[in-house]
This record gives sequence, C-alpha cells and structure tokens, in this order.
Amino acid sequence: MGIGQNIYRSYGFGVSHTSEGITVRAHGFKHSTAGPVTKALSRRVAGPVAVLAISVAAAACGSTSASPTTSGSGAAATATPASANLLGAKYDTTTPSSVTLTGAGANSIEPFFESVFYQYNQKNSNTTVNYSPAGSSVGVTDIQQGTVQFGDSEIPMTASQLTAATGGAILQIPVDLGGVAISYNVPGVTKSLDFDGPTLAGIFDGSITNWDAPAIAALNSGVTLPNLAIKAVHRADASGPGYDLDQYLIDTAPAWVTAIGTSTPSRTWPEANVGIGEQLNTGVASYISQSSSAGAIGFVEYGYALQNGFVNAAVKNSAGSYVAPSEASIAAAGAQATSLSPTDFNVVNETGASSYPIANFSWTLVYQKQSDTATGIALGKLFDWVVTTGQGDAAALGYAPLPANVATLAHTTILELESSAGTPLFAS
Amino acid sequence: MIYEPSPAGPDAVSGFVGAGRSAGVRAALLRRRSRFGDGAYGALRWTGAGLFGAVVLGLLIAIASDSSLAFQHSGLGFVWSGTWNPAADQYGAGILVVGTLITTGVAMVLMVPIGLGTAIFLSELAPRWIAGPLATLIGLLAAVPSIVVGLWGLLVLTPIFANQVEPFLASVPFFGWLFRGEAYGPSILLASAVLAVMTLPTMVALSRTAFAAVPVADREAAMALGATRWQVVRRAVFPAARAGVSAAVTLSVGRALGESIAVAMVIGNRPAIPESLTTPGATLGSAIVNQFAEASPGIGTSSIIALGAVLLLLTVAVNAGGQALLRRGSGAHPGTAGALR
Repeated sequence: MGIGQNIYRSYGFGVSHTSEGITVRAHGFKHSTAGPVTKALSRRVAGPVAVLAISVAAAACGSTSASPTTSGSGAAATATPASANLLGAKYDTTTPSSVTLTGAGANSIEPFFESVFYQYNQKNSNTTVNYSPAGSSVGVTDIQQGTVQFGDSEIPMTASQLTAATGGAILQIPVDLGGVAISYNVPGVTKSLDFDGPTLAGIFDGSITNWDAPAIAALNSGVTLPNLAIKAVHRADASGPGYDLDQYLIDTAPAWVTAIGTSTPSRTWPEANVGIGEQLNTGVASYISQSSSAGAIGFVEYGYALQNGFVNAAVKNSAGSYVAPSEASIAAAGAQATSLSPTDFNVVNETGASSYPIANFSWTLVYQKQSDTATGIALGKLFDWVVTTGQGDAAALGYAPLPANVATLAHTTILELESSAGTPLFAS
Repeated sequence: MIYEPSPAGPDAVSGFVGAGRSAGVRAALLRRRSRFGDGAYGALRWTGAGLFGAVVLGLLIAIASDSSLAFQHSGLGFVWSGTWNPAADQYGAGILVVGTLITTGVAMVLMVPIGLGTAIFLSELAPRWIAGPLATLIGLLAAVPSIVVGLWGLLVLTPIFANQVEPFLASVPFFGWLFRGEAYGPSILLASAVLAVMTLPTMVALSRTAFAAVPVADREAAMALGATRWQVVRRAVFPAARAGVSAAVTLSVGRALGESIAVAMVIGNRPAIPESLTTPGATLGSAIVNQFAEASPGIGTSSIIALGAVLLLLTVAVNAGGQALLRRGSGAHPGTAGALR
C-alpha cells in the first residue's frame, strides 16, 4: 500500500491510482450536500488526465459510470468553487475521500508531527498520515524524487535543490518553531549552566576538555564544577540542529570559524573528529541520558530534551543575556522573524533580551501542482490545520506556537496549491 | 524455484495413471513430458545463470559509473587519502579502510578462538543432550537481525564498556596503552565485540559441519594409536577439517567487513586514525549508513558510492587472500582432507 501511494506520481503506475481516485471521489460527490463538484475536479477531468481516467475506467469496474457523471457536472461547477475547498477561519477539516499521506523528513519535528497527525485523524478520519522521521535531507531527496506526498526539512531547500525537483515548483510551508537545546549529564550539577559561543566552540572543537576548565568556571561562578572529562556528542548524520548550532557558533565564535575553516554552516557536523557521533536526536539523547555517560554534552531538538528531562544550558544571546530553552524563549526568538521566507529563514542569534539564540522553523515541502486532486486537497487542509489549531499542542511538546505573521505566511503558501492543470485547489 | 519443472512432470503423469490410461499412452506422455521438462529446465537454468550474471555485472557497472565522479574529484588517492569531512567537501576513504580493517581484525581475534572452541565442543566433546539445544541457540543467534544486535550493543553493552571494561583494560599493565583515552563507551573495541557476536554463529555452524564431516575411522585410527581426546582433535580431526574452518573464517570476515548498521550504532563515528582501541572510530560501512541519505547530490553521493566500491574491493581482496593462504596451507600439510580421503 505504501508503495502504491509513493509511486502514484509515476504515470506508468499512476493508472490504478487514478481509477481508485475517481471511484472514491464519485462516492464523496454522492454524499455531498452542497452539490457542485469542485472546480479543481472539473479541471482535472477536462484536462489530459481525463483521457487516462476514462481509459482506466473501462478496466476498473465500478468507476465506469463515475467518469461521465463527474465530467458532466464538473463543467457546470467551474465558476463557483465548492465550499468544501475553502480554507481559513473555519479550518474546515472535512475531505470527501479517504487519503493516506506519506511524508518523510526532519527527525526534530517528529514529536510534534506525531501528535498533530493523530489529532487531525481524530477530527477527519478520511486523512491518515504516515511520517518517517529519517532526517531533513531525506525529506528533501524524497520530495525531489516524488516518492512522498510531503517532505519536511529544518532548513528550506536551496535554489539548486529546488531545480532538482522532478515534479515542478515546490511550496515551502513553515509548520513549527523549535529550538536546539544544549543538554548535558554532569552528576551533581542540576542548575542550568551558562555558556557563550566561544565556550561551546571550545567544547566542540576539543580545546576545552574538562568540566572544571577555567572558561566554563568563569561563566558559572558559584557552581561547583567537577573534575570530569567532557564527552562531546554530535550528530553522526547531517541534521537541522547541527546546522543551527554551527550557524550560532559561526556567528559568535571566531575560533570556531578558524577551526572548521569556513563561515558557511553545514548540515554535516564539521568537527566530527572531536567526541563521538550518534545517529538522529534519539541517538544523541540516548547517549546523554545513560548513567555511564557522565560528562556528556550534546545538542538535541528541545522537544527531545524535554522528553528526556535533561538539564539544558542557558546560552548567551545577541543581547548578552543567558537564556535557557523554553516555549517562551523560543517564541521570543521566533517573534523577531518579521520577514520570514524560505530564503530568509535564519532565526539563529536573534535580537531581543529574552530570545533563545538557537531557534529554527521547520519547513514542510509539497509540490505546488498536485497531480491527484484528492491528495492535494487533503494535504492543504491538513497543513492549514497544523499551522493554526494544531499549534495548540506545540508548547507541551517543546515547541513554540508559530507567530501570527508566520502562520499567515503558511496559510497563503498553502493557498498556492494547484491541480496539475494549474487551477488553484483552494479559494481564499 | 529452478527445480520446479522436474517434479511437475511425474506429478502430471501419475495423475494420468490414476485416470486409467494405457501403458503405451503413459510411456508416450512420459517421453513428451520429460523432453518438455528437460527443455524447460535447461532454459530456466540458462536464464537463471544469465540473470545472476547480469545482476552482478549491472551492480559493478552501476557502482563504477556512479563512483566515477568521486574518483575524478579525488583521484585514485581517494582509496588511501586520510581526510573524510563531507562538511568541507573533503573525501578520502583511507581512515575508513583502516577503521574497517581494525574492527574486523579485533573481532576475529575475539571470535575465532571462541567459535572454534564451541564447534569442537559441539562436535567432539559435548553429550548429545547439550549439543542439540546449544546448536539451536547458536542458530537463533544467527537469525537475530543486525539492527537488534546493534541496539543491544548500544543500550546494554555501552554502559558496561564505559564503566567497567574500558577503564579495566586501560589499567592492565603493559597492554594499557592499547586501551588508553577517554572511556566513551562507543568505541572500536565495542564495535568489534558486537561484530564478534554477530559472526560467531557463522563460524560455529560452518566449522562444526566441517568437523562432523571428518570420517569416524580417522578418529578411531588415532585413538587406536593411543591418542588422547585432545590429540585426536589436534592431529586427526582439525587437519582434515581445515578447509571448512578456513571457509568459516572467510565468511565471517566478509560479514564483519560489510556490517554497517550495528557498527554505526556503537562505534562512535569519528573518522580519525584511532589512538587506541577504546577511542571512537568509523568504518566504510558506518560512514555509508550515516551519510548516504544526507549526502549532497553530485560529489557527495558519488563519494559515498565510491566508499561502497572500496568496500567491495576490500572484501574481494580479503577473500582472495584467504583462499591463497588456504591453498598454500593445504599444499604444506599432507594430513588435509584431500590427502586423507
């Protein structure tokens, strides 16, 4: 079944899926009280796909009668879009047909996605979502190759990544606001220790090797630091949190730029020869949490740090104050992103005395042209709910709700979804 | 699959027999059937062999063409160049090759004596009521997926290694330098231990079969000459089973070289020349696991596939070396399987 969902984009196999789509949609139409068929649907049937759909209809029993019906009433409905396709204040979650959406991408957003997708399914049992938290770059590659209906990345796709997409233009929707926690396991230290960029850079480039080093002690007077070796943990795979911390260290620690030899942040952790590398947030969190890892310090998405009950560092922000990650401090950083866009996405080291300095938005990636209308509508409704009502869950899971301007950006981006013929799927 | 046509013939024929056909018709049918069966079997054989050849050839071509970009970028030096840092577009497999050889070597040092001992115990010494269940248990171990072994290594062995094994080894006189450095837990030694556990069933099962294949007469002859049990194993059984034992080691080495997931979970993923066995390291397999999904298109992806090519060459080289050793060994010892039978 998963394969069937994944390959629907390839025309060779898309045939069976199309016939399925037609059947299901005819069913939904029968139950619709509003009557008129969606504008998108009419375009879809009128377009080149109709040839495919009709040829398939002959083979797939049950849909033979559906095709003429939809194309007939579709022509009449072109002028007035169906109310079922409105997005906005109502956050209407009803979709006429049963759709399973497959997504892959950032590991950092997994706790949030798991919760919102479950809750959305409770409201609209027609939409089921399978999300594979394999990492941001997997999300990018999978959406480029069209093997998933949506991807998710902690970093928006670059221009060259966008041109490598096989299915045309990609819409990038900001869906959550998170932070990267610097978590540690130092027996006897339960207080949130203060760290600035140069000190963190020293820990991760191997020049600070002990917890009682003068550089750490100088920032934390009054705390008794043990004589304990530092075990720095970083991500072995490329990651969003690694990119964000790399960005913060580049911004704040000249020694870090010298050590790594570049001032361009990288998803792949640039100092892999210091400490140890673990896979995904779960791997890093698991290492820090083990009692045998006394002295460990690493970076994980704040949601994971919260789940594990870690003690997190207070990190020096651009205003000079030391701020620990929390819903409020991450929200404060996000609020500074007044001109957020996929090309201006950086919220690391934002201004504001209460801003947590290592924050980031997570971006969901979908194709603007949706070859399957039912899938496109389901995607749009799902993510419109996620960026509005769904944000209510964020705080409990270690994320901050999207600021109003970002939620608006997300909403207007979703409105750009189109059918394969270029007709908007949603009326604003 | 390949043998399908042959059983189908007789079955169909016996069906006709039941229906009461005459002997002449039956013979004719049998002739036609079997000729058809032979043809189909022959075709299937050739198709099978051709497909197998095509798959291997296709794989080699794909690896060669996909990795060509990396070799153009880094030259042949890719194989031994020391820096692996995708963040800075520096790709070199040298350190990973060293890491792979060290983990496999240490794993074999840990595993072969235990595996061989277990196999000798099972085939020569153990009473039947122990040998049966023990062999089943070892078979079960072979069926455990590598990710499960990796999880066990990560969650169970890591704390034990960090708290007890690594500090203890570092304190051993004369050998402490082999295990110096910070006891992280995840390390080359831990990866080797996990590899040893994973390859043990292969070693035990294959060498046990080799021991069991030694004729009882050989053992009886040795005993008649007054050999003790140990001498029987040492002088009669082991030399005759050398070929099988070597095959067991070769297969174990092959599996250890290529194992990726479990190693990536416990080795600490540090692509540097290890200072000691207890420092984190990286292997070809672990680097592929960690970075393939995330590799930047073009040179990044190509370099990861080139790592696969290097791993393939390494495996072929180790296998060829093993076979050469075996051939030389069998020439030198008259008491090997061939000479005895």
